[in-house]
Amino acid sequence: MTAFIIRRILWTIPVLLLVIFLTFVMMKQIGGNPFRRTERAVPVAIQQNLERKFNLDEPWYVQYALYVKGVFTFDFGPSLVSRDRTVNDIIKEHAPKSLELGLYAMLWAIVLGIPAGVIAALRQNSIYDYGLMFLSNVGFAVPSFLVATLLIYYVALKWGLVPTNGWTTWQTKILPSFALGLLPMAYFARLVRGSMLETLQQDYVRTARAKGLRQRRIIVRHVLRNSLIPAITAIAPLLGFIITGSFVIELIFSIPGIGRYFVTAVSSRDYSVVMGVTVLTSVVIVLANLVVDILYGVLDPRTREARS
Amino acid sequence: MTLDPRDAVVADAAVPEVVAGAGARAGAPVHRASLWRDAWRRYLQNKGAVVAGAIFVFIVLFCLLYPLVSPHDPDQIELTNAREGPTLEHPLGTDAFGRDMLTRVALAGRISLAIGLGATIAILLFGVVYGSTAGFFGGRLDNIQMRLLDALYGLPYLPFAIILLAIIGTINMWTMMLALSIASWFTAARIVRGQIITLKQNDYVRAAQALGARWYRVLTRHLLPNTLGVLIIAMFLELPGVILGEAFLGFIGLGISPPEASLGSMAEEGRAEYRANPHIMIVPSLAIAVVVLCANFIADGMRDALDPRTRETKEG
Amino acid sequence: MALLDVKDLKTHFFTREGVVRAVDGISFSLEPGRALGIVGESGCGKSVTALSIMGLIPRPPARIVDGSVEFRGRDLTQLSERELEDVRGREIAMIFQDPMTSLNPTLKIKTQITEVLDRHFGYSKDEAKRRAIELLEEVQIPNAAERIDDYPHRFSGGMRQRVMIAIALACDPQLLIADEPTTALDVTVQAEILDLLEELRREHEMALILITHDMGVVAEVADEVAVMYAGQFVEQAPTLELYDRPEHPYTEALLGALPQLEGEDVRRGRLLSIPGRPPDLIAPPEGCRFAPRCPFAHLGDGCAEALPELRRIRPDHYVRSRHPASERQREPAPA
Repeated sequence: MTAFIIRRILWTIPVLLLVIFLTFVMMKQIGGNPFRRTERAVPVAIQQNLERKFNLDEPWYVQYALYVKGVFTFDFGPSLVSRDRTVNDIIKEHAPKSLELGLYAMLWAIVLGIPAGVIAALRQNSIYDYGLMFLSNVGFAVPSFLVATLLIYYVALKWGLVPTNGWTTWQTKILPSFALGLLPMAYFARLVRGSMLETLQQDYVRTARAKGLRQRRIIVRHVLRNSLIPAITAIAPLLGFIITGSFVIELIFSIPGIGRYFVTAVSSRDYSVVMGVTVLTSVVIVLANLVVDILYGVLDPRTREARS
Repeated sequence: MTLDPRDAVVADAAVPEVVAGAGARAGAPVHRASLWRDAWRRYLQNKGAVVAGAIFVFIVLFCLLYPLVSPHDPDQIELTNAREGPTLEHPLGTDAFGRDMLTRVALAGRISLAIGLGATIAILLFGVVYGSTAGFFGGRLDNIQMRLLDALYGLPYLPFAIILLAIIGTINMWTMMLALSIASWFTAARIVRGQIITLKQNDYVRAAQALGARWYRVLTRHLLPNTLGVLIIAMFLELPGVILGEAFLGFIGLGISPPEASLGSMAEEGRAEYRANPHIMIVPSLAIAVVVLCANFIADGMRDALDPRTRETKEG
Repeated sequence: MALLDVKDLKTHFFTREGVVRAVDGISFSLEPGRALGIVGESGCGKSVTALSIMGLIPRPPARIVDGSVEFRGRDLTQLSERELEDVRGREIAMIFQDPMTSLNPTLKIKTQITEVLDRHFGYSKDEAKRRAIELLEEVQIPNAAERIDDYPHRFSGGMRQRVMIAIALACDPQLLIADEPTTALDVTVQAEILDLLEELRREHEMALILITHDMGVVAEVADEVAVMYAGQFVEQAPTLELYDRPEHPYTEALLGALPQLEGEDVRRGRLLSIPGRPPDLIAPPEGCRFAPRCPFAHLGDGCAEALPELRRIRPDHYVRSRHPASERQREPAPA
C-alpha cells in the first residue's frame, strides 16, 4: 500500500517539472524579453537593471533552472507590472478567495449532486429521474455566465435575497459558489446515477440479495461504495473546470480573486503573474490527481496491485 | 481497391468496431454496410437524439442562410431602435446599438459553429496522430507519450488557451480554433489510443501482420477505419467544450475582435446591459446552450446507436 | 410434508417487444435432504425458476403471474419483501454461476461471510469471525485463518466458488439452490466442487436444487432429474431411471450428445447435436414446443396443434410427449 503511494508521488515530480517547463517555454514565446516589448518606453539603463534583476540576461536553461528552484521554494518572482509587488504577494492576496470559492462550489456539487444521482438511480424512470436528467443536461449546456447572470437578476435583484456581488459576508458567498458548482453538480448527479445503475446490475448485488440482507444495507455497503468510486475520480477533472469557471464567476460577481486578476494580467502583459498563476493552478490540478489516484487505490483494492 | 493478396484474407473483417469495450467482442466480423444501417436505425429510435439532430441541422442551416435573406443589415446602427425587446420586426429584439439581434445571432452563430467545427477537426487530427502512434507501437514510446499527456492534462484548459492566444498574438476565428484545439486534444488522443489498443488485439490484425503487411498499412487500412465510429462520437463530445470555451473567452473579453462577432463576444457585449435589458445577453447565451445541448444529445444517441450495450437497462 | 412444493409456477417478463413466458407452468416437490437436478439448454428458463423461488426476479419487467411456491407450508409468492428477506440466506440459500463476479471485489471475504451471520443471527464480531473461519475450513480452503482477510481477487475461481458455498452454508439453510455452480470452472475443479456439494449436503441434511445444462454433472449429484425445455418440464424421473430409460426425444438427444466411452454410439464416432433452436418464448407455439426439432413428430399426430400434458408413464416417471420412447415401437417409423 505504501509502496503504491510512494510510486504515485514519485511520478508526479517529472510531471510537475514538465508542466513548469511547458509554461516557461510558452511564456518565453510570448515575451522573450517583456521589457523591450512593452508599449511604454523604458529608459535603457533601467531596462538593463531590470534585466539583470530578473536574470533575463542569462541563457534560457539557467533561467528555467532558477525558475524551477523558485517554484519549489514558492518564489514566483516579481510582478512585471506592479513593480513593488511580487507575484507571491499578489497570489497571497487573491488566491485564498478563489480557493474558498472553488471549495464551496465543490461542496455544493457534492452535497446536492451525489444524493440527487443516488435517488435518481433508485427511482429509475420515474418523474424524478427524468426531471433530474433533464436538469443535468441543461446544466452542462447552459454557459455558467448565463446561469450566474440569471441568478443575479432574479435572486439578488428582483427578490433581493442576497447581495449581487462581492465576497465578504456569507450571504455574498452563496450565489457565486452555487453558480460555479452547478456544472459539477450536474456532472456528479449523472455520474453517480449511471454508476449506481451499473452497480445495481452486478452479480454481487444479486448475491447480497440472495443472502437476505436488508435493502438498506445492500445499498449502503455494496452499492454506494462501489458506485462512488468513479465519482471520486471525477473530482480531479472537475477541479480543472472549477478553476477555469471561476474566472467568469469572479468577473460577474466582482470577486477579487486570482481568476479575475489573471485576466487583467494577460491584458496588461504581466507575464510573471500569468506564469505564476498558471503554474500554481497546474500544480493544484496535478496534486489533486495524485490525491484522487491514491484515494482510488484505497477504495478499490484491485488497483493497488494492478498499477504498472 | 487494390488486389494486394495480403489484404484478401482480412478484407471482410475490416469493419467498424466501436467504443472501448468492443474488445470483448473483438474479432466478430459483420458486414460493413449493415452495421452502419443498424446503427442508423437504432439512432432513429432514440427520440431525444433525433429531435436534437433535427434542431442542430436547423440551426446550422439557419445560421448559414438567414443572414442572406434577412431584411436587416446586421451592422447598421440605429440608435432610435436600441434595446428593444422582441417585436414583429425584430423577433429577438435589438441590441444596444439598435442592430437586429436575430440577424446578428445568425452571423455570430456562423462564426461560433465554424470555430467549433474547425477546432473539433483539429482536435481529432492531433488526437488520431498522437493516439494511434502511442496505441499502435506501444511499449516505451507509448509510456513516454502517456506521461507527456499526463503532464499536458495538468495544464488548465482556459489559462492554457489564453496563453496560447497571447503567444499567437491576434485573436480571430482561425487563431481561436488553433488555440482551443491545442488546449483540448488530449482526451481525443486518449480515446483513440484506447480504441487502437483494443482493436490491435483482434485476430484480423494479427492475420494481416502474419501475412507480412507493413505497419502503416495495418494502421491505415485496418485500424483507423474502425475507429471512425469512436471519432464521430468524440467529435460531438468535443464540440460543446470548444463552443463553451470560445464563449467563455469571449465573455471575459478575449474573444474575437470586432467587427466580427461570435456568440461569446455577443454575450459579453450584452453583459453591460443585463440589468435593464437582459435579453441582449440572454439571446446569444441561450443560442450557445441550445447548440451544446443538441450536441450532447446527439453524442449520446450516437454512442447508444453504435454500441447498444452501453445503454443503461430500462428494465430494473 | 415436502420441504418445497412448487405448483404450476409461471414467471413472465413484460418487455417492450412482448411478454416473454420464461417459466410457463412448472411443478415439482422436493423432500428434505433430497437433490433435484434441473437440466436444459441455455434460455430454457431454469435460472428464472430458481430466481422465482427465491423471489429474486427483477420486478419491473418480470412477475410471477401464476402458481405457488410452498416452502415448509408457506407460499413464498405471497410473502412481502421483508418476509422474503428473512427467508433468504437463512432457510434457502443460493449460489450462482460466475464466482468471479458474484463476490463484491471491494469487501474482504470475512465481511461477506460475517454479514450473513450478523443479519440472521446477530453474532458478535468475534463469534462471527470464528464461525467464518470454521466455514472456510469446511469448504476446504487452506490457511483459512489467514485468507479470511483477503479480497476476492486473491482467490482462484474454484476457491471463490468454495467461498460462495461457505457463505451459503453459514446459516445452515434447509435448501440450497445452485445455479450452474460449475459452469465457469475448469473441468478438474468442477469435480471437486461437486464432490464438496455432495458431502456438505449429506452432512447438513440439506436439500439441493442443482441447475445445469450439463447432463454429466446432474448424474453425479441429483436424486431426481427434471428436464426443462422452453419454459416447461418435459420429463421428470429419478436419476438412474432417467439415464437408463429416457422417454422424451429431447432427453434422448441430450444424452446422445454426451461423449461416451462405451456403447453403440462410440462406433458412430460422432457427437450428436440437436439441430434447430428453441422457440421464441414471446410467442411459443401452440403445440408441443419441441416439435419443430423432434425427429419423431410428424404430420397428423397432433404434435403441432396441442401441447402434450405431463403424464405419468411409470411410477415416478413423467413425460410430456406424444412419442415417448417406450411407446415408439408400436408406431410406424416417420417418413
